[in-house]
Amino acid sequence: VSTDFDAIDFFRAGPLYQNPYPYYEYLRGHGPVWREPHHGVVMVTGYEEAVEVYHDTERFSNCVAVAGPFAKWPVPLEGDDISPIIEQYRDDLPFSDQLPTFDPPKHTAHRALLGRLITPKRLKENEEFMWTLADRHVDEFIDLGECEFIRDYAGPFTLLVIADLLGVPESEHETFRKELQVEHRPKQSRAKDGPVAHKPLEFLYQRFTNYIEERRREPQDDVMTGLATATFPDGSLPEAHDIMLIASNLFAAGQETTARLLGVMFQLIGERPDLQQQLRHERNRLPPFIEECLRLETPLQTTFRLARRPTTLGGVEIPAGTTLMLIPAAANRDPRKFDDPNEFRLDRPNWRQHLAFGSGVHACAGAPLARAEARVSAERLLDRMADIKISEEAHGPAGARRYEYPATYMLRGLERLHLEFTRIA
Amino acid sequence: MSFRVVVDLELCGGHGVCEGAAPEIFRVVDQMDGYAHVEVILERPPEELREQAEAAERQCPNRVIRIVED
Repeated sequence: VSTDFDAIDFFRAGPLYQNPYPYYEYLRGHGPVWREPHHGVVMVTGYEEAVEVYHDTERFSNCVAVAGPFAKWPVPLEGDDISPIIEQYRDDLPFSDQLPTFDPPKHTAHRALLGRLITPKRLKENEEFMWTLADRHVDEFIDLGECEFIRDYAGPFTLLVIADLLGVPESEHETFRKELQVEHRPKQSRAKDGPVAHKPLEFLYQRFTNYIEERRREPQDDVMTGLATATFPDGSLPEAHDIMLIASNLFAAGQETTARLLGVMFQLIGERPDLQQQLRHERNRLPPFIEECLRLETPLQTTFRLARRPTTLGGVEIPAGTTLMLIPAAANRDPRKFDDPNEFRLDRPNWRQHLAFGSGVHACAGAPLARAEARVSAERLLDRMADIKISEEAHGPAGARRYEYPATYMLRGLERLHLEFTRIA
Repeated sequence: MSFRVVVDLELCGGHGVCEGAAPEIFRVVDQMDGYAHVEVILERPPEELREQAEAAERQCPNRVIRIVED
């Protein structure tokens, strides 16, 4: 392929996002760490190098984790240590109230609140709801013999699982589904100039502020009361606002990403009858199957850091104020780490070591939740649907499929997945 | 001086960051119930693994690893 990648500004590359992997290999061809010429962003495609950055919150700040090169600073980022500039202006950056953009020590305290919400004990209670919910969604389309999997299953399932985890009463689930479900938004509204606008999270903000204030006035024996009365590690009580942000962040970070993961899994199950057959009979293969889907089609493809001080990474000089783009989706295909990196394989010895959930203190708090959702969904749908196939009418014949992906460099996963199947009696 | 490694399994998310940092001390295992969690395979590591153990303590996303001096 003779695409002239030199001329491509990755951050405004529309059609490229339909298949970014050749571009990632072009980057890798320049080395595991390379400064792209259009914005001066340092692109990290190497596995070891990405882990080095993930694990060093002193050299690298998360303040630009979401905004990346589109963060607007009122002064130049110059000097031997730009930490004072970061602290002075970080609150004005997009998404500055969201946990992924925090640095320690603030991050440590707020992340602990979230860790208390997603405990193994709470997850097991939540899993009981997942089985029921999975059945309920399947009931809605099982007699049709076909479904649009993202809209009919993955979207609402991932949404209501989080609602249940947070203790939203079931009587309000339908309202949450209506208000929050991501319908097929016009593509342009997402990523024209990068995702820099605050997301419209007002519905969640309002609901959760109300819930928390109510439960603090009148505690009940429920999850929401646990949420409302959770404390920071030092024992102090957070503002209702802080709890509300944590709850909203779970929806923002955990819903669409997990829905996209489910899409990848069922696309593969539909494309590969041999694999489908194997998974039906060897359910203990589901965990490596799920991890391999995460490795090959990493839902959150990219994340950003800002260098506080002059440093080097993978032999490349990094001046203070440099924006780095970590590309876990590319690090997960680093041939130094994964043999035959572009191949789907169920028998990788290092199948747990992909970076789809990041690594270090910012690693995805919802990882065990996403894994449980993936496992329960695979189990239940394989139990109830035989002979799952890709709809040729919607996606074209094998060998010439048409799949559509979101027009953004941050998120990967099918926009729609039309499946056909036979009901298992 | 020797040290012990303690993990609070009530809050362990099974991320496996510790296994990456100190593979001789930690191993991620699957429970029968499908939730990954970490197992301490070397509860009293030798002094030369201290740096790795401290890295694991520092990098744990759920902050559930503690190094206790004996």
